[in-house]
Amino acid sequence: MALRPLTAAPLLALLVTSAQEPVPPAVRYEQHVFAGGNPPPAGTLQNPFTGDRKAVADGEKLFGLFNCDGCHGGGAVGFVGPSLADGRWRYGGADGEVFHSIYYGRPRGMPAFGGILPPDAIWKLVTYLQSLEPKQDISTVSW
Amino acid sequence: MTEAPSHLLLLGTLVALGAPRQRAAPPANASPAQDDGQWTIPAKDYAATRYSALTDINATNVKRLRAVWTFSSGVLGGHEGQPLVVNHTMYVVTPYPNVLYAFDLAQEGFPLKWKYRPYVNPAAIGIACCDVINRGASYADGKIVYNLLDGHTVAIDTATGKEVWKTQVAEVRTGETTPMAPLVVKDRVIVGASGGEYGVRGWVKGLDLATGRVVWTAYNAGPDDEVLARPGTFRPFYDRGADLGRTSWPEGGWKHGGAPVWGWLSYDPDLDLVYYGTGNPAPYNAEQRPGDNKWATSVLARRPADGSLVWAYQFTPADSWDYDAVQEMILADLTIKGRRRKVLVHFDKNGFAYTIDRATGEVLLAEPYVFVNWAKRVDLMTGRPEVDPAKLTGASRGTVKDICPTLEGGKNQQPAAYSLRTGLFYVPTNNLCMDYAAVRATYLVGTPFIGASTPYKPGPGGSLGAFIAWDAARGRKVWEIREKYPVWSGALATAGDVVFYGTLDGWFKAVDAKSGVPLWKMKVGSGVVGNPITFRGADKRQYVAVYAGIGGDWFLLSGDVRSDDPADVRPPADFMPDIARYTSQGGIVWLFAL
Repeated sequence: MALRPLTAAPLLALLVTSAQEPVPPAVRYEQHVFAGGNPPPAGTLQNPFTGDRKAVADGEKLFGLFNCDGCHGGGAVGFVGPSLADGRWRYGGADGEVFHSIYYGRPRGMPAFGGILPPDAIWKLVTYLQSLEPKQDISTVSW
Repeated sequence: MTEAPSHLLLLGTLVALGAPRQRAAPPANASPAQDDGQWTIPAKDYAATRYSALTDINATNVKRLRAVWTFSSGVLGGHEGQPLVVNHTMYVVTPYPNVLYAFDLAQEGFPLKWKYRPYVNPAAIGIACCDVINRGASYADGKIVYNLLDGHTVAIDTATGKEVWKTQVAEVRTGETTPMAPLVVKDRVIVGASGGEYGVRGWVKGLDLATGRVVWTAYNAGPDDEVLARPGTFRPFYDRGADLGRTSWPEGGWKHGGAPVWGWLSYDPDLDLVYYGTGNPAPYNAEQRPGDNKWATSVLARRPADGSLVWAYQFTPADSWDYDAVQEMILADLTIKGRRRKVLVHFDKNGFAYTIDRATGEVLLAEPYVFVNWAKRVDLMTGRPEVDPAKLTGASRGTVKDICPTLEGGKNQQPAAYSLRTGLFYVPTNNLCMDYAAVRATYLVGTPFIGASTPYKPGPGGSLGAFIAWDAARGRKVWEIREKYPVWSGALATAGDVVFYGTLDGWFKAVDAKSGVPLWKMKVGSGVVGNPITFRGADKRQYVAVYAGIGGDWFLLSGDVRSDDPADVRPPADFMPDIARYTSQGGIVWLFAL
């Protein structure tokens, strides 16, 4: 099935990349257990847009334009897919871990966006998600 | 059994709406003359009545009903659908991962004969719009036929539990999943797929029962040759013209216009027509698809052998509210305005109950069965609803407030039952309204194609659901039982004049079919979204079976009802914040007897 060409001008502007990053090497998740106490060698990815408010705004637009909100809900508060705004990360919340989740997808239905989004656009999404401050006090009782 | 907390006493209160009318004799040819005490297809019979002629359990003695056997499915997804009972064997399909269990009802303790554990692609979990449910199986010719969530239909040999065939019918990568229950008609297995939230192009397929080969594919939208609308065969009652499934869309819009098939099928052997409803047109933002969008939100009547379309009728043209029409089409013979008619009765998401001539597609009656404000009435001359323009939605209209019912529908997938003794339809309903804020949606294969935010609120009166009895010959409600939460279980009617249903807060209930008076209830461990059945056991006793196991759409909204994901700390839905007081997830198969 062919993708519909992405022709919307604001969309293109968001996709313009300053520096095409190579596909990153595998990363480690903080909840992994390491055999023998030794983590396997892996590169660490840094978000090039950390703290960049323009990237946060671009990432928020991308979150809607690329239908992330269709599963994760408006404001990334969760719907069919999990909340990305509550500080609870199933596949790790470090820069490279969130990048990997978007680039390669995840096995329970998270699509891989690496085929249609350049790395800078994915980093802008990461920057947006990292800007969502989880509530300090998450209630454990709902009534 | 436990007593309901006192603040619940107002709920479950019977609201009398007039005396039940005296019932004439049951219609001829509406059901098998003899009930063999089995339950071999999802809705009991091709007419989709969910009515059993068994009378051992009746309105007088049902108060003595008690649980006699349970089984934990070990699965947390919503347990929609129903078991089957064939040759003293009970078949249970679980939600994803879609395990099939066969229980030997002729042995003490009903031990397993076998179980079938298929591989199901876990990617389907995130592609299924609304939990990983399964709506059940059909039995035919020594085989149990059902759908795996990831787009496969399988046939399992009932003697051995071995797979006879497995056919890929749908493509998860384009947003298709397959939770619906197939219906077997002669040597055809009729299946459809979900995906109205992913911009799929909806279809039904006819498979060969012996081999699983796809014999025909009929799309619900597009040019006539792909819709299988053949000259001389296709005669819709209200519409004229060629290629209506193409010309009622913007250029090419039908290619990812939704109209999926995730509900129930029925069949009239005399007319040789299979009936099914189609889901919403995609995306939810109606301004991206000007036109009627045929045949989304419609009922279609097809020949099972080759899929030919014979007639179609669209309940909600240019759908602006996600009013899928996949709810069951119940076939009955009713006297309407003095004339005996072969009808189908359909309780649409859009809030109207339709009584339709099932040979021609002519709408005979269309009356609201829940509170409706998006349309004033349905014009029977044209078949079209008179829409309130203030309730039309679209990206240019901002937030449109207080639309009733919501996109959960006056009723959703939960199937109604029809009693041949009382002549009444027993209907689980929702009482919710919504605001609707549409935005432009971008179509990207394999991602959601929605474009709307639609928060819910309680409907008039405050209780979120009701279980009602409906007279489809006159288009009026006969009685209703208000419930605290939406009623998301199916209904079962029996010749013992008892009607069964379950509630989201975990009660399984029996009420008097004539009056709606509550007769019995039991708390069954989790909210009920499955459909009760009844059968005669190997020991000749009458049993009633139902699944407990909350889920389906409520998985999306209930937040802390989830029990398998400690990372899920979402708050519960604001319109029913306390559901987790009463239930948690988890599938249980229950059997009851006197």
